[in-house]
Amino acid sequence: MQVCWAFKPSVAMIFSLVDIVSLNSRKFPGKDAFRFLSSALTHSELEEKSNKLAKHLKDKGVKRGFRVGIYMNRCLESAIAVYGILKAGGCYVPLDPAAPIERSRFVLKDCNIKHLVTTKNQSRKIKKLLATTTEVDCLIGCELEDMPWSFSWEDIFKLSLKDYRALQIMEQDLAYILYTSGSTGTPKGIMHTHYSALNYAKLVVDQYQFDTSDVLGSTAPLHFDMSTFGYFAAPLAGATCTLISDMHLKMPTSLVDFLKKSKITAWYSVPLILIQLLQTGLLKNEDFDTLKWVLFAGEVFPTKHLRSLMGIWKGKTFGNVYGPTEVNQCTFYNLRTAPKSDAPIPIGRVWKNTEYKILDENDKEVSEGQPGLLVIRSGTMMKGYWNNPELTKALLYQETIVPGANAVYYRTGDLVQLNTQGELLFLGRKDRQIKIRGFRIEIDEVENTLLRIADVAEVAVVVNQNNDEKVLMATVLPRDNRALDVGEIYLFCKLHLPPYAVPEQIEIWKEFPRTGTGKIDRKAIAHKLTFSKYER
Amino acid sequence: MNDKIIAYITDNLLYEQLDDPLTADENLLESGLIDSLGIMKLVVFIESEFEVAIPPEDMTIENFMTVNHIKEYLMLGK
Repeated sequence: MQVCWAFKPSVAMIFSLVDIVSLNSRKFPGKDAFRFLSSALTHSELEEKSNKLAKHLKDKGVKRGFRVGIYMNRCLESAIAVYGILKAGGCYVPLDPAAPIERSRFVLKDCNIKHLVTTKNQSRKIKKLLATTTEVDCLIGCELEDMPWSFSWEDIFKLSLKDYRALQIMEQDLAYILYTSGSTGTPKGIMHTHYSALNYAKLVVDQYQFDTSDVLGSTAPLHFDMSTFGYFAAPLAGATCTLISDMHLKMPTSLVDFLKKSKITAWYSVPLILIQLLQTGLLKNEDFDTLKWVLFAGEVFPTKHLRSLMGIWKGKTFGNVYGPTEVNQCTFYNLRTAPKSDAPIPIGRVWKNTEYKILDENDKEVSEGQPGLLVIRSGTMMKGYWNNPELTKALLYQETIVPGANAVYYRTGDLVQLNTQGELLFLGRKDRQIKIRGFRIEIDEVENTLLRIADVAEVAVVVNQNNDEKVLMATVLPRDNRALDVGEIYLFCKLHLPPYAVPEQIEIWKEFPRTGTGKIDRKAIAHKLTFSKYER
Repeated sequence: MNDKIIAYITDNLLYEQLDDPLTADENLLESGLIDSLGIMKLVVFIESEFEVAIPPEDMTIENFMTVNHIKEYLMLGK
């Protein structure tokens, strides 16, 4: 078996995420750590530039545990931002530049972000955000007029490191907070530490045997948990991470070309991007001989598409990756040959340092082969939800193995079942959480957002299937027969929800079908709604 | 041609209302203005509005980066 360098004696030097970068800068100073479009950042440049950002952040008041926002798309600066913030002792909080300003403002306020790191091309949105926010008093990456507390990246890179002293980062320190849809109507923050993130990175490197020869293709935005693959696992393996631009993800034909030229050895994305690549019809004309691993996660890969892709990309190993943001990844299922039927593929087995149970409604383990709710215990588990100990407690399942040393599991809310080969099958959700294009959406959040409109009395949001795509649809009842305007409701959604959570179709109804007990019959509503009846 | 495309994007595809109007040289793909679903809708709109067929191999960054790029592509194709 090939031994990865990270597990040679030098691994004993890595206790936190920042140790990875420092070690790499000594081992492979001139090797590319990150690539984006036609530019690159070597390990030594990453070390130096992130130290400079850390120094600046410390000078501007960042202390251990401070939340620092990152507001940018994938680019080389995003890697500098991640490691610079971590080196300053801070905890990075990625904000989605595509999200409505109100949502970003909520996140800034919710975790009290005073320092924000961005890039020049976000200036339009940054100005809008800062015009209505009082939290932020230090902006980095975009120098704005009349804001003496804003600094360009050039300002940062000019700094001298002569009197810079690295902070001792502890593995228990908070590393990042990822916000995800919350059923109450506002997003919730998932807290990860250096310990959980580093455990994840180690497990990835071990599971997929990545080493210094690998080039990992990263497609996920920073606010999506799949991004940790590129930002943490790639550097731990001493590999190069290629950050794939938004432009390429939106133009699959250009992506085919990029993929061919970039010599990526391991790909990781949501299934949709792979389906779009497949649907260009151009894959079969090209040779992707460097590509060894095709990993996908975020939602179920329709097996018929997976089979088509595997028919074209022969000799590569495909990997189904599963794990809620709260535990990063926890299971793997690898395929060398295409599945024979259209049946969904398993999510597989738990990887190392991880165990699971399948429980019934009363927290009793189900008998083997029976469906139940998956709970996970792992070194990759989150610290908890930001500023929400009640929710954290509610979603943890504790078992006393030895008094005083409980085994703590995370309740995924996913319904699973063990097949006869001992692999886990994903059956669905116990609640109303769905995935669209890999993004996690609580339908309750969408409904609660619509209910904030004064003239709306009741709402029902349902999911319909349009070919392979899941589509969110909303129906609303007006209060006291008041006049409602579909365009205005749609605009309200766009102002308060991330783009992927905005219903594709909104209809105003006079009444809802109800069940015998008077509850809204959502199944009947979903049935009545047909796609594209209403052109927005 | 530019005005029609800009009007369609502004009315149908943007995440939110802009303070300044969208310009023909603004990067549509990178700036977080439109998502990938929006790009697909834009292609469908252009095909029906200008009576052209856009084959998958033409759906590249070079042809769709800005409204100006789209115009140039359509002019060359005709």
